[in-house]
Amino acid sequence: MPGPLEGLRVIDFGQFLAGPFGPMLLADLGADVIKVEPTRGDGMRGNVVGSFMGCQRGKRDIAIDLKQPEGVEIALQLVATADMVHHNMTLGTADRLGVGYEHCRAVKPDILYCNNYMYGAEGPLAHMGGLDPLAQAACGIEWEQGPVAAGNPPLWYRYGHGDVAAAMPSALALLIALYHREHGGGGQSMWMSLLHGAMLYTADSWLGPDGTPTSRPSLDARQLGIGPLYRLYETADGWLQLAAHRPEHWEALCRAVRRPDLVDDDRFATVSARDEHGDELGKVLEEVFLGDLAVNWRRALDAAGVPSEVSVDTWDGETVLFDGDLVRLGLVTEYEHPLLGRVRQFGNLISFSDTPGRQERAAPMLGQHTREILAELGYDDTAAEDLRARGVVTWPDDTYAWPV
Amino acid sequence: MAQQASGGASSGGAPPGPQALDGLRIIDLSGGIAGPLGVLLLAEHGADVIKVEPPGGHPDRALPASRVYNRSRRSVTLDLTRPEGRDLLLELCATADVLVEASGRRAMAELGLGYDDLRDRFPRLVYCSIPAWPSGVRYEDRPGDEALVHARTGQQWENTSFRSGPVFLHSAVASYGAMFLVPIGIMSALHARERTGRGQHVEVSLLQGVLSLTTQIWNWTDKGQFLLQKSHPPGVHQATIYECADGEWIHASTQAGITPTRTEASILGIEDVPLAQLFQMSPEERAAYEETKRAAFKRRRRDELIEEYHAAGLGAEAIVAPHERFSHPQLVATGAVVQVDDPEVGMTTQYGVPMYLQGTPGAVRGPQPLPGAHTDEVLASLGRSAADIAALREQGVV
Repeated sequence: MPGPLEGLRVIDFGQFLAGPFGPMLLADLGADVIKVEPTRGDGMRGNVVGSFMGCQRGKRDIAIDLKQPEGVEIALQLVATADMVHHNMTLGTADRLGVGYEHCRAVKPDILYCNNYMYGAEGPLAHMGGLDPLAQAACGIEWEQGPVAAGNPPLWYRYGHGDVAAAMPSALALLIALYHREHGGGGQSMWMSLLHGAMLYTADSWLGPDGTPTSRPSLDARQLGIGPLYRLYETADGWLQLAAHRPEHWEALCRAVRRPDLVDDDRFATVSARDEHGDELGKVLEEVFLGDLAVNWRRALDAAGVPSEVSVDTWDGETVLFDGDLVRLGLVTEYEHPLLGRVRQFGNLISFSDTPGRQERAAPMLGQHTREILAELGYDDTAAEDLRARGVVTWPDDTYAWPV
Repeated sequence: MAQQASGGASSGGAPPGPQALDGLRIIDLSGGIAGPLGVLLLAEHGADVIKVEPPGGHPDRALPASRVYNRSRRSVTLDLTRPEGRDLLLELCATADVLVEASGRRAMAELGLGYDDLRDRFPRLVYCSIPAWPSGVRYEDRPGDEALVHARTGQQWENTSFRSGPVFLHSAVASYGAMFLVPIGIMSALHARERTGRGQHVEVSLLQGVLSLTTQIWNWTDKGQFLLQKSHPPGVHQATIYECADGEWIHASTQAGITPTRTEASILGIEDVPLAQLFQMSPEERAAYEETKRAAFKRRRRDELIEEYHAAGLGAEAIVAPHERFSHPQLVATGAVVQVDDPEVGMTTQYGVPMYLQGTPGAVRGPQPLPGAHTDEVLASLGRSAADIAALREQGVV
């Protein structure tokens, strides 16, 4: 059974991460995604190899110089065959190049067109691009992870949290618009931004009628957790994440850590008493957990019905990427890259019972499918060679080396 | 321009124009973050979301977040542990396109509401599950929640900090990843239904939510592993965080995709050192230059600097607490800050709709409804008379 988006075609003019990651998700789900790449290469190629691989797999790649009129013509021929266009050019850039919404709509009236920005298509900063940290800063997660309130500097999340927060909802916006088109609506344009996406990470924060913010659980200065019962503890040989935050866990926890005396300790007798004496309880438990191995604590807590996990160092993800269960379930994928050999990455991010996703194609080399795609558009070999000779398109030759 | 959403009308304030998902009905049985917030992204583009919760309301209502996550939907209270309650849910399923649950496979099966129970009866239903651990993994029955998923998948070691060892992640990164994947999965399955005529089971585990964040950090190949720099303190972008005057913080991530009219150094009033020259400096020289730069930041007010950076075409943002973000000029200008009149606490300020569909704009459709606020109207739409509903209420089913 093919993937859920089999038969859809997406033209991806994006670069770096926030642009390409959304279309990659669509490719995972079965869409035919054509990456239209500048002939000088995506800005992410080269020194950020991993990040490039992590947001480009599953796509075919045609390298076109959009600064040349013939290049734009080819791009629009592709758009005419497509359902969706997606990119993250700064405001006005696509219009200047000739691949803006109006240009695309002229050749494909019901096209669904999504532009991903740093700040959005309107407002005083709309003209500015920007990178992931700007979104992380503005939404509050860096402040909270520091945590600044406890006297620490802010801390940036290493995931590209802001990029992902723009890329995923922009793929979603296209699918929402697709539903509308399939139910009698037409095509439309839409936009998404790193700023607007990242705000979802703190959507739970709101202001009351008098402007008072909601209270939020805060991290301690050592960044170990939120209170003594939902935090990391160091053990004799590693770290344990305890999640004993429900009232019914308390007594079982005391017995599992061989401290039944704590049950009768007035300082910790009730939820509010444990909150009030949180630091003391934390210190008691810190000493307790140092007394045995992490795995022994996990066993004891399992037997007592108290949730915990050993906090694993995966060594750059290796233990997860080679977990047999995750491979079998398709949550980790393996495929061949022409220059790098076997590749292991995360696989299906969504599991479908009837129309599973797939990952079969490595991140493309620059212009890897230029000839194939030109042929589909009706250009014969001579025409393609001629375009390449004039620098309108390019494709790799035998000397192509990774990274480009 | 702030949008307003009032809780007066029975189904929330209906937006003026057509929305993309008009006619799509979703039954939301979920709790936590990924279910309710993922569904919100569909509700505010027109989906008719019916939150089905136990009489008295879902326990998550105790959390402030619930007022945001459960906006723009109707609430029906049903006791699903009673046969009459379950039957009513099944009747509702017959009218729905999508069901979302986060109770776990076992709990749903015990209620007789597992995917296997519903598949043949409602062949067009898209059934979306949000467990912590993926079905079929050897640890699927272990207790699962946000931090436990972080721990097992190594995230506490991946997000490096000022010190070595694991770090508790304050942001619910697994749930937030899943929150995006849930509506993507639902919409993809609905698209597939156009072709196959059938619904299907869609599962997004919190573990998959974590995996969605590993695009930059976990890419293993035969030729080696390609990673974003890993160090204490974290590399790449942490280095552009600076303290300003009055203990305020700035993220001076300057790349803004446009040609700057001034250099960062000229704004800070320090010596302008070209990047190439900076890289040729000895570690001591480099540290001394960095010290000068840090001192320059500390002398200046954050907001003043940001204004100058932006005027020069350089990127920079204030690093703020979440509640301070409501005054961000871009959020204000794009109508992303909304006033929502909550029936319990009054007029609140919340973050609104993140996706901007130009032909069918999204909108907040109403506050979190009171538990069961729409029980009568929904049961009436199933053909129940007022007397029937009163009897069900008497029996504690609704």
